[in-house]
Amino acid sequence: MWLLDWLPEWFFYALGVVGLVGIFVTYIPFIPKIYKIPVQIFSVVLISASVYMAGAISKEQEWQLRVKEMEAKVAKAEAESQKTNTKIVTKLVKRTEIVRVKGQEIVKYIDREVVKYDNKFAPGGECEIPKEFVKSINDAAEPIK
Amino acid sequence: MRLILILSLLLTGCATKTVPVKMKFPEAPSILLESCVDLGKIKEDAKLSEVATSVTGNYILYHNCSDKNNAWIEWYKEQKQIFESVK
Repeated sequence: MWLLDWLPEWFFYALGVVGLVGIFVTYIPFIPKIYKIPVQIFSVVLISASVYMAGAISKEQEWQLRVKEMEAKVAKAEAESQKTNTKIVTKLVKRTEIVRVKGQEIVKYIDREVVKYDNKFAPGGECEIPKEFVKSINDAAEPIK
Repeated sequence: MRLILILSLLLTGCATKTVPVKMKFPEAPSILLESCVDLGKIKEDAKLSEVATSVTGNYILYHNCSDKNNAWIEWYKEQKQIFESVK
């Protein structure tokens, strides 16, 4: 509340005290009757404003508490989110490395074992790889646009 | 005029229940934002070993892409859960 930013909290409690004193003063016999009613009205206004602002102060404190709670929650969630990011990236990097190593092993195997059949399947060889075979694989690898 | 003054004074006590502190949905790690690589092709006069190497290479690309996709799913599910827990 903007009023609470401008004025200290004690000011509003002081208003209430002044109002109560005002009411009390009107019961003192020597106070002229002519001042009694205006002082009473003014005092009631002060007390009302004080009670209203006391409520606002309480609400403001409750509000600030909720903001702090929320900030703590958000900070915790952001830390957790960062941890999750790191976990997932680490897992992905590890898996990529595993796939790369496995791929290398297979390529080594090809270079060691499959290469023996290269001449047999060479163009013009005993079992030439048909162009249609190569085409079908390349067509399957073609990016779809 | 008086009514406006009274109303504005009364309205100063009103407050929304929603706390103005929000969590932003997190940015995805850059590694997940990389696109999958196009598959490799075979030369027309390729040897059998070259065909096998190319096919292996394509399987590797598939595995990488699949892992990335799974990581995306996992990332989204977990981040959504974290995001929704802040309310």
